[in-house]
Amino acid sequence: MKKKLLSGLVLAILVVLIVPRFSYAINYFDEKLRVQGNIYNFSIFATNLHQDVSQYRNTHWGLFRTKGTINFLAKVVDCPDNSLNFYGMFKWFHEATPDIDERYRESIVPKSRRDFQNPTYRTDDWINELYADYYYGPWNIRAGKQVVFWSEVELIRTVDQINQLDLRYSTPGIDPWSEIKLGLWMLRGFYNSQLPGQLVFEGIWIPGDFQPLRMPLEGSYWGDPPGPPTPKHPPYYGENGAVEAQWRKSKPQTNLAHSSFALRIRGNSEVSFFKTPYTLDWSLSYFHGMNNTPATRRKYLGSPDPSNLDPNTLNGYDNKLAYCRLAGDPLPELPGHRFWNYKFYSIFGATCQTYVPSFGAVLRGEAAFNFRRPEITADPNVTTPDPSTAYSKPITGNATRDIFDAGLTFDKPIRIPWLQHEKMQWLGANGILQTIVGYFGEWRLGDVNNIRRTFAYQQRVQTGFTLTSMTNFKNNEWMLVFRALWNTRKWGYFTPAVAYTPGKHMRYTFGYMKFYAHDVWDFDAAHAKGKDCIFLNFGYEW
Amino acid sequence: MDMKGIRDYVATCLTVLLILAFGIPVLARAGEVTFPTPSYTEQELAKVREWEKTWVGKKVSTENLDQVKDFLSEGVYLAMKNPKSFGADSLWFDVVPYRPYELSKGLIEATKKYAPNSKLDAEEALVNFGEGAGYPFPQPKNGSEMAWNFDSYTKGDTHYVDNFGCVVDCKTRLERESGQPRWDTYWMCRVDAQPIPKIPADKNPRGIFHSFFQKFTAPVDFVDSSMIELRYLDSHRDQDMWVYLNMFRRITRYATDQRTDTIDGTDLIYDDHDGWYTTTMRNTYKFIGRADLLAARHQPNPTSLLGNANTVQRVTGQGFWNGVKRERVNHWIVEVVTKDKNYLYSKQIWYLDPETWQMNFKTMYNRQGQLWKMYEMFYNEFPTVSGEKTTYLSAEHSLDYIRHHGSDSSYRYHKIGIDIPLEQYQTQAMKVKQYR
Repeated sequence: MKKKLLSGLVLAILVVLIVPRFSYAINYFDEKLRVQGNIYNFSIFATNLHQDVSQYRNTHWGLFRTKGTINFLAKVVDCPDNSLNFYGMFKWFHEATPDIDERYRESIVPKSRRDFQNPTYRTDDWINELYADYYYGPWNIRAGKQVVFWSEVELIRTVDQINQLDLRYSTPGIDPWSEIKLGLWMLRGFYNSQLPGQLVFEGIWIPGDFQPLRMPLEGSYWGDPPGPPTPKHPPYYGENGAVEAQWRKSKPQTNLAHSSFALRIRGNSEVSFFKTPYTLDWSLSYFHGMNNTPATRRKYLGSPDPSNLDPNTLNGYDNKLAYCRLAGDPLPELPGHRFWNYKFYSIFGATCQTYVPSFGAVLRGEAAFNFRRPEITADPNVTTPDPSTAYSKPITGNATRDIFDAGLTFDKPIRIPWLQHEKMQWLGANGILQTIVGYFGEWRLGDVNNIRRTFAYQQRVQTGFTLTSMTNFKNNEWMLVFRALWNTRKWGYFTPAVAYTPGKHMRYTFGYMKFYAHDVWDFDAAHAKGKDCIFLNFGYEW
Repeated sequence: MDMKGIRDYVATCLTVLLILAFGIPVLARAGEVTFPTPSYTEQELAKVREWEKTWVGKKVSTENLDQVKDFLSEGVYLAMKNPKSFGADSLWFDVVPYRPYELSKGLIEATKKYAPNSKLDAEEALVNFGEGAGYPFPQPKNGSEMAWNFDSYTKGDTHYVDNFGCVVDCKTRLERESGQPRWDTYWMCRVDAQPIPKIPADKNPRGIFHSFFQKFTAPVDFVDSSMIELRYLDSHRDQDMWVYLNMFRRITRYATDQRTDTIDGTDLIYDDHDGWYTTTMRNTYKFIGRADLLAARHQPNPTSLLGNANTVQRVTGQGFWNGVKRERVNHWIVEVVTKDKNYLYSKQIWYLDPETWQMNFKTMYNRQGQLWKMYEMFYNEFPTVSGEKTTYLSAEHSLDYIRHHGSDSSYRYHKIGIDIPLEQYQTQAMKVKQYR
């Protein structure tokens, strides 16, 4: 382990020493090839470890991840109406907490731990993006591994569902979206029309490639503690790790039958209300793809009865797993077949943003209608120790439900005269507080009582509010950022942070995260209660 | 005299009276338009040439600065007297001979054509702004007319430049770099590039006056980000601005009414861009006199972030360029007060070049009336694609006298009067050749 750490450190120092001392990207061959990159370390130190968790820790470190990216842009053909470029972005990382904390290491399933510590979850994980980008007049074709961004609203994703997220290490806002999103191999085309409204038509075909959502791993800082129940000796990992292994095994093969499609029209139109002109950026979109979590295969579901201990069925396997953990027996092996199946559904989406002169603010909104989203079911009459969740209920089958999501943000720069006062000029403050207030709502349509969900069980409506505020000091050398989320079901978080950009290369972000929840089963984010921490992200850009 | 004779006599008299009443003022006003307007009369120029015999070719530094104090703006003098405050052991510039600008034929013709009928309304707005071109008031009578002259200059109508610069903390000597290739188009008041004087309304239904598209090439964490801003003819309408931030991979609309935010951490706010970027109507203007000052009007542009030996130059951590080629020019000085009572500056002083009506420098005062900042712009003449010449920035610096902070930048790869497709200023352009 020490050898790995030492290698990483040596690599980081070499990068810092070798790269040129200016902050422009490096260009070669008369700017036909551009190369740039960065190396960062992101660490988390827990400030409020609950005893349920601390028994699986030797230290308070929650994350110690060193990450490097390198990207290139090669201009192969560069004519005004006809050009061909190649773009690639590659990443490497090593998460060192399991190396320095033995109990932490023993809390994670070994196979998952290796892939958690290194970019090996999928063989091409080290490739973030890699594609050819061809332009011919108004046409643009991009072929290769890509990341698509369709969102308008900060911290809220409704229509932006093409690429799933890797949430095992951090949250959006700390790592850039381009690195949190999981790239997919796809063919993407644009037609930039000169029709009224400056319409842009976009089509995407993903020929069978699929990446499910990577949720925080059991035993890791952001994941659940191992269990329940809690074994007294290592290895500690258990049920959630088993589910992760099942889902991973059930991931669909890459073939054309698993293709996803997406279409979007984007426009820029001017409309007048009460004689005031508004320039609207709007889009309409359609996505048909696989849900990011799977449904069961009825053939291998098995009886929901607690006496079913047949490990060849899903319910039987889960029952047996629970008994084995209680008794301290070896965990059952997964059978050769898959328990789960990833199913298709559709999303119809719309986004809009405009500047509103009377408020001096930008209003952004987006809405998505999830049509026939796959769900799994459970008998609501089965009693469990905790009635607010369904994770321990046997699965009875599959269903589909429609879900409507909407988000709205109000983005206004607020001038703070006090910070622009002569006496405060030593601070070099810009005196502007960029403030974004957001609203998010979700409505689950149809009967929700028999839908089996670990979080938000039997809840029909979610309503949340977000706040982001930021301001700069010392000519933007320092930036204060405050983010908060409050859900009407009394859970949320807040994060004050300070970012420091002293010069051309070094970047620092230091902050604190506080999570609160009345009921941790209200939402997956509410489950972060007790994971309060301070964090430091620092790195070198070149 | 018979009745017919009387009628003819009265008609003739009325005609003469009408001509006297309406024609003479017009003719007289037309006769007043003298353009170009060189900085000096022949007699004044002779005196300047005499002075130049002593000073041209000389290096003026912190040590001998007081000998030319009368020809320095307050901001330049203060900075050069305190070089260590701005990260230098000594600050210096070269004196070069005054040279009048060669203005384009289009600018001269447009000014002569439209200026005679230019006038301000009761709110001091230029009547029919955007319909004509050239300088509306070559012989201005007040500060407002000078401000409209400033706003009417289109710098060759279209241009591409690569701006690269540094934000410098002169105390710690830490620098942050920025690189911004930029495309600009004036949709109205055009004098050199067809169509003249404006892009037809069917291609400009939104009434855009000026637009720019900018990419970011530095700092590295901003590479492949871009920005579009549209300024409209309607002075009551706020600009529209979109920013594509590569780290967030989103085209984001920005609120533009709050223009006192700093530009990328420099010492300038959004309103300071190009001297004054927003509508003329936001300020009141008072002409306070003329001043014969040394300014950089034929400044070769550097190609390095630290400058070049034969142009401007500096060392890391220095917020004020050395090696500036300054020549004498007789500026028009205008005191500018923004109508917003809570505005960041209590006043600005614009030093306008008499030949191009652009600012060679401006000084900004805080709310207590202290000199706070200076923005000095170094110009040069650049060829346009139509074979004319136009003036554009070759370098610039801005200083914060209270915090001893500076921002230096320079411009390269000037392409002026080029054909820039109007689609460049549509948000879809931000999706083209940006790597996401």
